[in-house]
Amino acid sequence: MSPVDDPRLPSELNGGDLPALTVSQVSVSFGGVSALTNVSLVVAPGTVTGLIGPNGAGKTTLFNVISGLQEPDRGAVHFFDIDVTMMKPYRRARLGLARTFQLLELFGTLTAGENVQVGLESTLKWWQWSHLRKALWRTNGSESAPGDPTAVDALAASDPLAMTTPDRLLAEVGLEGMAYEQANAMPTGLARTVELARGLAIGPKLLLLDEPGSGLDEAESQALGTLLVRLASTGMAVLLVEHDMELVMRICDRIHVLDFGHVIATGSPEAIRSDPAVQTAYLGTGSAPGGTR
Amino acid sequence: MTSFLQYTIFGIILGAGFAIAATGLVVTYTTAGVFNFAHGAVGMIAAFSYWELVANHHVPAVLALVIILLVGAPIAGALVERVLMRRLHGATAERPIMVTLGLLVILTGVATIVWSPKSQYQLNPIVSGSFRLVSINLQYQQVLTIGIAVALVIGLRFLFSSTRTGVGLRAVVDDPALLAMSGASPDAMSQYGWILGFVMAALAGVLLALTQEQTGISIVAMTLLVVNGYAAAIVGRLKNISVTFIAAIVIGLLEDYIIYYALPHLSQSLNSDITLALPMVFLFIALVMLPSVRLRAVGRLSTVRVPRMPSGKESVLGGAAFLVLAVIASVVLSSVVVRGTNLLNLGGEVMALGIVGLSLVLLTGYSGQVSLCQFSFMGIGAFLMGKVAGGGSLLGLLAAALVCAVLGALVALPTLRLRALYFALATFAFADAVDQGFFQDSRVFGGGINVGRIILPGLSFGGDRSEFLLLSVFFVLVALLVLTIRRSLFGRRLVAMSDSPAAYATVGLNLAATKVAVFAIAAAMAGVAGGLYATVNGTVGSADFGFFSGIIFVLFVTVWSIRTVSGAFLAAVTYVVLTTFWSTGLGLVAGAGIILIGRAASGILGIDRLSTLLPLPWVRRGSAAGGSGTLAGIGTTSIGGEARVAG
Repeated sequence: MSPVDDPRLPSELNGGDLPALTVSQVSVSFGGVSALTNVSLVVAPGTVTGLIGPNGAGKTTLFNVISGLQEPDRGAVHFFDIDVTMMKPYRRARLGLARTFQLLELFGTLTAGENVQVGLESTLKWWQWSHLRKALWRTNGSESAPGDPTAVDALAASDPLAMTTPDRLLAEVGLEGMAYEQANAMPTGLARTVELARGLAIGPKLLLLDEPGSGLDEAESQALGTLLVRLASTGMAVLLVEHDMELVMRICDRIHVLDFGHVIATGSPEAIRSDPAVQTAYLGTGSAPGGTR
Repeated sequence: MTSFLQYTIFGIILGAGFAIAATGLVVTYTTAGVFNFAHGAVGMIAAFSYWELVANHHVPAVLALVIILLVGAPIAGALVERVLMRRLHGATAERPIMVTLGLLVILTGVATIVWSPKSQYQLNPIVSGSFRLVSINLQYQQVLTIGIAVALVIGLRFLFSSTRTGVGLRAVVDDPALLAMSGASPDAMSQYGWILGFVMAALAGVLLALTQEQTGISIVAMTLLVVNGYAAAIVGRLKNISVTFIAAIVIGLLEDYIIYYALPHLSQSLNSDITLALPMVFLFIALVMLPSVRLRAVGRLSTVRVPRMPSGKESVLGGAAFLVLAVIASVVLSSVVVRGTNLLNLGGEVMALGIVGLSLVLLTGYSGQVSLCQFSFMGIGAFLMGKVAGGGSLLGLLAAALVCAVLGALVALPTLRLRALYFALATFAFADAVDQGFFQDSRVFGGGINVGRIILPGLSFGGDRSEFLLLSVFFVLVALLVLTIRRSLFGRRLVAMSDSPAAYATVGLNLAATKVAVFAIAAAMAGVAGGLYATVNGTVGSADFGFFSGIIFVLFVTVWSIRTVSGAFLAAVTYVVLTTFWSTGLGLVAGAGIILIGRAASGILGIDRLSTLLPLPWVRRGSAAGGSGTLAGIGTTSIGGEARVAG
């Protein structure tokens, strides 16, 4: 099933030409400080859209507005044609809007597999008998000693299918065999990937990624780029905040540039690279963003 | 009209005392980032110390004040910061709550030993004499209280906004490392904050005690009187001193009007109950009126060490083994009486209280919601058990579960949108309001209500042995239920919600629904426990479910391990043994235990190295960060910088 072919959305949205995300004239201020001023942008399905800007430009605040963690003072956010401006975060997620965080927000005392499983199960009802029955006899490894092979073997013996789906998702992001690692004991780069897998677990149509490349080495960054392009090719819309300009310029179809809460440029990577306003915002000079991390 | 004016002036005077207490709380919170639950107890100790010096040792009042405010309180504040609080940097959110609660029960415990509750403690004004203002007789003492409150508010505003020290005091909470880079010592700033907070608590305690010249002072009343300041501090959002001051005056006025206008129309017993419950009612209302907290990413992973989770088969086998041991114990203990106490009945109490402990494992251990009102639900369960179907009926247990579940949901609903500290405060307020306003009412428990043993068709549990075994079975069943929940989808959600509420919401899960559900389930468990507890000795009274007892029990569960069934059981054993054989030391042991545990979130059962328990300055900070006394240095490449601990 394509990410945009989903029964949760009105039928006219599935496979249509509507933008996955439309941010219209959004403003946010904290006390007297304006974090976002009349920000508008559009993210199309099947594309990777970059959102770049210097530190403090308002990128994370915009992500918070889109995902529902921050109410805007003014403006609107539409997910396809649904106005989600005042919608609670969990309802947006159920529509298919997933995100990761600049600073890791993993379920630290759960395993990597369980982090993904929580996402996968997000639409299930907790009182469903099948889950209780499963829980009665299963060692799911969640609170077993991390890396304890006995616990993993016990799980495999008791319920080999228990973690099949989380395993599959973890494998998809390059974390094969790491389902039983406790999340708060994982190196930062791997933990970021678990967060991405958890986001993918809810079956998103729009994926907001807040600096997923930080903490990754060159090879991991390359793999991340490949993965995001592949996800976009399935019809998913990806909005990417990233300081790794090489990655952004390589994979993004379109880029929005924020500076001091304003969108100062929008365009293709080539257009952004040569935009004088962007160059000034980044370096205060005529140097182009890109090639730096 | 004259009486209205009189009540208004007295209300302002009362409010001025609350204002001093409240601004002290705000100072501690602003400068140390900690809500000091022991603030009222510090005030109470100061008030009794003042009585001790002035009334008992005939020290001049002013000299006594100097000793308390300029020597005793600062030293105590500095010591608490240095020995207790400094170890908690970077610990999980509930740690400071637990440690200050520990301090609260220690101080009240010490006070009970030193100043017998049976004696009368009367105080005379510091400044004698009075004058008339618009036909109202005002004492100079009362004017002094108002003057001190106003001067303090003005002085504190100046300190925090216009002095380098004040800015440093505020900055230490925001970013200690950044403060250190600017040349100031974060530790010293934090210590100044605690000293200031203690001095203000002591001042409030003494001034409020002087308003009680007619009734005299008592340990519980003095501790709770300062709690009036909690509500004002909450209205000021724990940061705005001016709003806090105004709120305190309004609360003082409201309390005075209610006492003089509304309460005389109520019965004598209800009158007294409501007077004592008023501070908590104000606190609860203040909390409910707070705006919703915004979900925000905190960017700090939970580093709590996770105990090994037994599989379903292991749980069932463990439960069976426990029951075998219970059978053996029932034979061995069947006729053992120690100091007039039947040990089998004590065992029954342990099982019932163990179920309350299990409710805390579910609620606090798994889902991270700090609840201080499980004993309230337990008491309500016991009451229903005694009243429904003649007592001792399974219908009583059912009623206890259902009523407590509904009550739990009702308590959770208005407060679940608040962050952990406020949620804990709401349960604190609810617990005391239920205790003072319901349990203490002579029409509820009176001298104790009779509850028969449970009767099932064809089965009699009238004997102590069968009763003990029945309660053991209940404990095992509830333990299995809790473990099953933890392994289920719902259990994963509880832990996920505790670890990161922001991430929880953004994967499509409803925080509010989960919080209400878990609170209702835990309340129902505590209600059932209360019902069972009531059947053990055949009679229960309000003393079994007291406000302070509830807090002490939470501390014991935390000390042993609030994440495990074993922790719940051992806490119940400790509580019952101490209550029976050394009740005076109950609070002292619980408080000392929680202070020794410090930041070790996994409790005694999760500790590898006992030396990390010692609250000694030279025990290296960070050696037990968040996850208990695990070996430092291992797993330094991990996110939390924490050890991965093998089970």
